[in-house]
Amino acid sequence: MRLLQKTNRAYFLISGMVFIIAGVVFYFVISFFFKDQLNEKLFHDIKNITRSIKKNGTLPYYYPFIDIKEVPAQPEQSFKIIDTLIFNAFEKREIPFRQISLIRVINGKEYFIAARDTLLEEDDLLEVIAIVTGSVFILLLVSLYFINRKLSLKLWQPFYNTLDEIKEFSYDKPGFKLSSDSQLYEFTELNKTLEKLTQKVISDYQSLKRFTEDASHEIQTPLAVIQSKLETLMQYPGLKKEQAELINSAYVYTLRISKLTKTLLLLTKIANDQFPEKKAINLSELLSEKIKMFEDHILEKSLTLNKEIKPECILETNFFLTESLVINLIGNAVKHNINSGIINIKLDKNHLEISNSGEPLPVKASKLFDRFYKTNKSSDSPGLGLSIVREICRLNKWDVNYLYEDNLHKVEVNF
Amino acid sequence: MKILIIEDEKELVGVIKKFLEPEGFLCETACSYFEAEDSLSSYIYDIIILDLTLPGGNGLDLIKLIKKTNKKAGLLIVSAKNSLDDKIRGLDMGADDYITKPFHLAELNSRIKSLARRRHFDGANELVFNEIRINTDSNEVFINGKVLDLTKKEYEILLYFIVNRNKVITRESIAEHVWGDNISYADNFDFIYSHIKNIRKKIEINNGRNYLHNMYGLGYKFSER
Repeated sequence: MRLLQKTNRAYFLISGMVFIIAGVVFYFVISFFFKDQLNEKLFHDIKNITRSIKKNGTLPYYYPFIDIKEVPAQPEQSFKIIDTLIFNAFEKREIPFRQISLIRVINGKEYFIAARDTLLEEDDLLEVIAIVTGSVFILLLVSLYFINRKLSLKLWQPFYNTLDEIKEFSYDKPGFKLSSDSQLYEFTELNKTLEKLTQKVISDYQSLKRFTEDASHEIQTPLAVIQSKLETLMQYPGLKKEQAELINSAYVYTLRISKLTKTLLLLTKIANDQFPEKKAINLSELLSEKIKMFEDHILEKSLTLNKEIKPECILETNFFLTESLVINLIGNAVKHNINSGIINIKLDKNHLEISNSGEPLPVKASKLFDRFYKTNKSSDSPGLGLSIVREICRLNKWDVNYLYEDNLHKVEVNF
Repeated sequence: MKILIIEDEKELVGVIKKFLEPEGFLCETACSYFEAEDSLSSYIYDIIILDLTLPGGNGLDLIKLIKKTNKKAGLLIVSAKNSLDDKIRGLDMGADDYITKPFHLAELNSRIKSLARRRHFDGANELVFNEIRINTDSNEVFINGKVLDLTKKEYEILLYFIVNRNKVITRESIAEHVWGDNISYADNFDFIYSHIKNIRKKIEINNGRNYLHNMYGLGYKFSER
């Protein structure tokens, strides 16, 4: 829900409640004042009537508003206020009246004097109040809605600007700056905080990258020493089988670390975008060449290779990375294949598809591209191949997908 | 043949020297930028091994000096940075070859020998090991004068063995030499074994002796025994 919707909703609800309460209060206040006023007028009428009787001795009569009767032998009676219904001949219905009556002795005669006036009819009053408050309510809402909308859009504009800018934020692009120059305290504070935050993110990311790179470099030299020492040790004549095995296993693990650091370094460099050189690459030729590189492995596993490579797939991109991508994909298809399995390699103008036979994945396919992910925990490979593929695709804005169908693991890249 | 090893890691210099000296190379070493400057200005070398990351200065600057004082020397660059930039720049500035740390000593030896062949034999490149003779220009192998019919990969493996004769060569080193760095995508080295079987067979058919010995699990050694 948008903020504007939310505030509008709250405004509507609260003003609705206020108007209902106001209506009720209006009703009581109006009817109180009206009755009070009416009483005053009726008292006044009675005073005039008594004075007129005293002076003139005549009895004014104006039914139903003034009603005077002689009531012999009745004791004097004080004011009595009652509300009563009186039939109206014109309207042919009973109409509510307020009546103030008393019994007085004037000039030695007893009179019953009553002054009456129509009471405001309740449903009429309700109707009027409902119409008045209702229309004011609607008027208020409409103006609130428009004012709110206009004001909100204007007030929140810097916020939306900031939001748009922050959406473009990428931690590997240094020099991120928010341009919005709002005069409002809240938004300048927000922008300041965001800027501080993004700068922290960028600098943390940079130092992490530098660390990975430096660490990988620093590891390479000791590894080179260990590896060459082991190779020298191998040269000693008269090595026993057991000794050779020990040397070999140390050697194999050394090579594994060195491969791992090289791969991590490559991943860091891709993330750092340290492969800016681009040129036109004939992927069809590159692919055929790399397939040839694996022919011994394909033969060794007795794999059936089906190629469907359309010529002249030209990409404008980095050669080294594209080579890496192709080698990783073919390498995986060979390595994770079963003996006497199948490899299908299809390439057309903007679509590369490499599939190989194999058992379905034991876990979710989405994890496949994660770093250090491997289906077989005891496997020698560190499980970085597909994350390299993903990073290269991300850098080139290519679309990469994995799916399993017809007993085939399929990786697709759309250029 | 005189080699200058410019490398700051003394331990590494030691093993390289130890590996190369029995091959008939005379090795001198320089462990810093200044030592290297000194040696390069005073002596003439046939081959220079240069580590680009040196204390005291950038290795790329040394290339300029080498091109001035040791114009004819073969230059092999070693770097811990597997960066394409350095490689391209180094080769552009006149380096002959480039190898990244960590490397196999046999690979280093093979690169140096190849540099040496290119420098000194002026075309007629021949390697001889008893009855086996390799012409590295025509990529032909002869046994007792008869041409041996080898595939490209078998030829490369055999050449690698003969260049590194009498040394234990690991399967990993052979794989990297022939198939490139990316061979790590294979989970076993059986495919090397089948190539070696074929080489043995072809030499045997042509009445050659079997010089290819298995060294336990380590790899192979090409020697008279």
